Amino acid sequence: MSTVLTALQYLGYILIFPGFLFCFLAGMLLCGIDRKVVAKMQKRVGPPVLQPFYDFFKLLGKETIVPAAASKVVFLGAPLVGFAALVVIQLFIPVFSFTVFTGVADVIVILYLLLIPAMAAILGGAASGSPYAGVGLSREMVTIISCELPLVLILLAVGKTVGSFLGTGITFSLTDIAAYQAANGSLITKASMIPAAIAMLLVIPGETGNHPFDAAEAETEICEGLLAEYSGAPLAVYKLTHAVKMLTLTSLFVALFLGGIGTGIMLVDGIILFLLCVVLTILTISLVHAVTARMKIEQIFKYYWTVVSGLALISLVLAWYGL
Amino acid sequence: MFKKLIAESAAKSPWLFHINAGSCNGCDIELVSVLTPRYDAERLGFKLTGTPRHADIVVVTGPVTKQSLPRVLRAISQVPEPRCIVTMGSCPQSGNVFKGSYSVAGPLSKYVHVDVDVAGCAPKPEAVIDGLALATKILKEKREQM
Repeated sequence: MSTVLTALQYLGYILIFPGFLFCFLAGMLLCGIDRKVVAKMQKRVGPPVLQPFYDFFKLLGKETIVPAAASKVVFLGAPLVGFAALVVIQLFIPVFSFTVFTGVADVIVILYLLLIPAMAAILGGAASGSPYAGVGLSREMVTIISCELPLVLILLAVGKTVGSFLGTGITFSLTDIAAYQAANGSLITKASMIPAAIAMLLVIPGETGNHPFDAAEAETEICEGLLAEYSGAPLAVYKLTHAVKMLTLTSLFVALFLGGIGTGIMLVDGIILFLLCVVLTILTISLVHAVTARMKIEQIFKYYWTVVSGLALISLVLAWYGL
Repeated sequence: MFKKLIAESAAKSPWLFHINAGSCNGCDIELVSVLTPRYDAERLGFKLTGTPRHADIVVVTGPVTKQSLPRVLRAISQVPEPRCIVTMGSCPQSGNVFKGSYSVAGPLSKYVHVDVDVAGCAPKPEAVIDGLALATKILKEKREQM
């Protein structure tokens, strides 16, 4: 009997709270709030906050065209794989003190899982057989490589800070990081972690492919790049993946730097997490979107490997000397 | 209920694809002005897309020259159903001042079904928004009939 209950509990976790339903609703709302804030900053009225939901359901009702040159299985399967990987990450990221799966996954797994949506987009784009997607996928690959180095350095800095406190050298366990913050206060209050936190804020728009780092999906020059041939339901899943990625990265920021402020009640924690994600989305995605123009791909690469990596490296060095 | 939700959403999220069929660039600029802060068509959910595969409404400007005709028809056939075709300006409707020219193959309604015509040379942004709003109603009806 108890095994059935446990199974049901886990099914609830996967389907409802940090899983599919929460990801869908919270991600879409973040996307809507982002569009509204950008519109307000440009002195426009802007679309309703529920606009991403309308877009999603409209796309579900559209005809799905598979191009003659496309490989059908990869073309239609890639978006689903990418979305599923993001939901899995959401199950591994601790909601303050609560994590669905403890002990199985650490920061390294999250790093790999974060690559899957981008890889799925690249595979799907390559399978569509469109030259625009070809240009888009080469740009997407460069964007991934650009973001990966600073992200790894940030995770190392956080792991070293927590690890030297625990006496294990360096830790990659998110549960340990959450427990450390619950005991000693949020990591962002440590002076040595502030450069890493700023670097993480700068990584978020690059990882989600938002302005000004959206060279891979530039609609005005390469017809939306990877998504050029997608229509109907697969495109809806891509839009959803993009929205959930905003949620995933902002909640990863909360888990890494703003942990330890939860109340222990799951519902309240979920609401606090969502509100923090909204603030971070406005700060890192909307404001940056409204005031910048699109960067060229080599500018993105240079920016991430010098400025952002430099900030993360400062944190890593400081953490290494135990500051 | 789900079908109703999709039909409602179809009217609230119309994405535009713009085809220039030999236009003088007057209408093209007026279409972009519709998306500026002053008129802000995005409050109704309008968004310019870069590829016909994402579009719901195709906006055609220009008198449809012989060179552009096969490309226009090909681009329109790439738009997934339900779709709406809106002509903007007097040129795609009648040929305007280019009527009778050796290089003009228009009007567009000889080749495809046109849902909404927005007349003018160039039409005012208010008229364009009115025409597009009419097109969203047609989109919803088409979705309900699917």
